[in-house]
Amino acid sequence: MTIPLSRFLSSSRPFGQRLLRRGASVLAALALVLMVWAPSAQAQEKMSEKEKQMLAQLQEMNQADGYLEAHRDVQQPMELLGGPLSFTIRQTSGGVFVSLPDNRTLDPDVFGAPDQPLAFTGTPGITGVPVPMRGVSDGQFTQFERMSPFGDKNTTMANGNLMLQATDRTATDAATTEDEVTLKASWEDQDGNTYAIRCCELLVSAGPEFPTFGGVVTNHILHGFTGIGTPLMPTEYTYAAFWGMGAVLKNGEVVDKPRIVHGMLTEYVRGENYKLVSDSEVTPTRRHFHLMVAPFMPVKGEHKFQPKDVATGFELPNGMELPFWHVMFENLEIESQRGE
Amino acid sequence: MSPVSTHSLARTRWLLGPAAVLLFLVGRAPEAQAQSSSPAATVDMTNTLSFAPDTVRVQAGETVRWTNGSVIVHTVTADPEEATTDESVRLPEGTAPFDSGTLDPEERFEHTFEVPGTYRYFCIPHEGAKMYGTVIVTPAE
Ligand SMILES: [Cu+2]
Repeated sequence: MTIPLSRFLSSSRPFGQRLLRRGASVLAALALVLMVWAPSAQAQEKMSEKEKQMLAQLQEMNQADGYLEAHRDVQQPMELLGGPLSFTIRQTSGGVFVSLPDNRTLDPDVFGAPDQPLAFTGTPGITGVPVPMRGVSDGQFTQFERMSPFGDKNTTMANGNLMLQATDRTATDAATTEDEVTLKASWEDQDGNTYAIRCCELLVSAGPEFPTFGGVVTNHILHGFTGIGTPLMPTEYTYAAFWGMGAVLKNGEVVDKPRIVHGMLTEYVRGENYKLVSDSEVTPTRRHFHLMVAPFMPVKGEHKFQPKDVATGFELPNGMELPFWHVMFENLEIESQRGE
Repeated sequence: MSPVSTHSLARTRWLLGPAAVLLFLVGRAPEAQAQSSSPAATVDMTNTLSFAPDTVRVQAGETVRWTNGSVIVHTVTADPEEATTDESVRLPEGTAPFDSGTLDPEERFEHTFEVPGTYRYFCIPHEGAKMYGTVIVTPAE
């Protein structure tokens, strides 16, 4: 629980020199064809030298790098103001919503406009959306032109079960953490197959590309314009969130491990027909819990991610395997207390 | 049996008498109607976060039955105290709020509408997703 991901990923060579930071107009002019959500090895082999260069440049331009550099080697991180905060989040009946691959509508508050784009640096899909991957119409961005786990398409699955017990002690990203997470979650498809996530064998005590606050963060704001987590999710007040290394199971067997598991209890970010809303449309007075196993893995020894599909074992109608889990629990019992 | 309880029993019997006559005259008490197998309207609660149909019409004194036909937990709630936006609930003046509580998959809820008017209700966990329904109650013919 206290082994930091930064050590897990640590490299003996110092953090590489930053590339020249170039303007957005230069980025927009270059056609970048990345199969972000396709299997990584294949996609990266298909990339031209120019595309590889562009990807490297976007990753080097990641805006959180300086902040993370200052924190990731801290051996004795500060505690949360006011002391530890422990919480339990449970769902004991009812089903879940499972996101299916879809194109995300791009919110101008988060992504700017073609002549003044925002949120394009970092690993595509993790902290940024490269401008060449954005649809444009009438001088506005329209949608992310790749399929991602962040869209309106979804299905429901029965018998959702969630048990999350966690403590937020450590305030900042650091080399070690006193934060704790135990998560067990499961749900069932129509054929009676059970899918489950277990977490966390260790916490992501310092984020490779964006802050993780020791692995658990409480009463903060994530996603959207914040740069903490993908901008493809709207900016959302987050009562609690965690990032850790866990396992993906099908019918009781581990089918993928280790994987980065991210969970968060947020204000409600879905609208009519379960549409993923834009920043101005969130419902601050309702909450839901999101569980995410993204189709990415951290690159060993470097502070970035590369695409890697999750072996979920769930087959989509087109015969392909769902390459991620993005599951929402909405029938929640929530408890929390301050102090040890 | 103590004299006190005998007295209580007698009182109860006296109270039941007129009630039984009333039941006979009216045909069905609200409780009996709630158990009835033929509500005036039925509404399904879906996986796509809707009440289907979203609007039903009944006469005063008739019952609507909701069935959770989804795998998701829903509620049928017409209680302004449970709502977080004004648009979620609308009740005709003088009517009491009602709330099914949590309805697991396949569970049912029934409510008998006595006062004519338009009732707007919602589902608590899916209020943000605008899971709303309407019951229009017309005067009994
Ligand atoms: Cu509902």
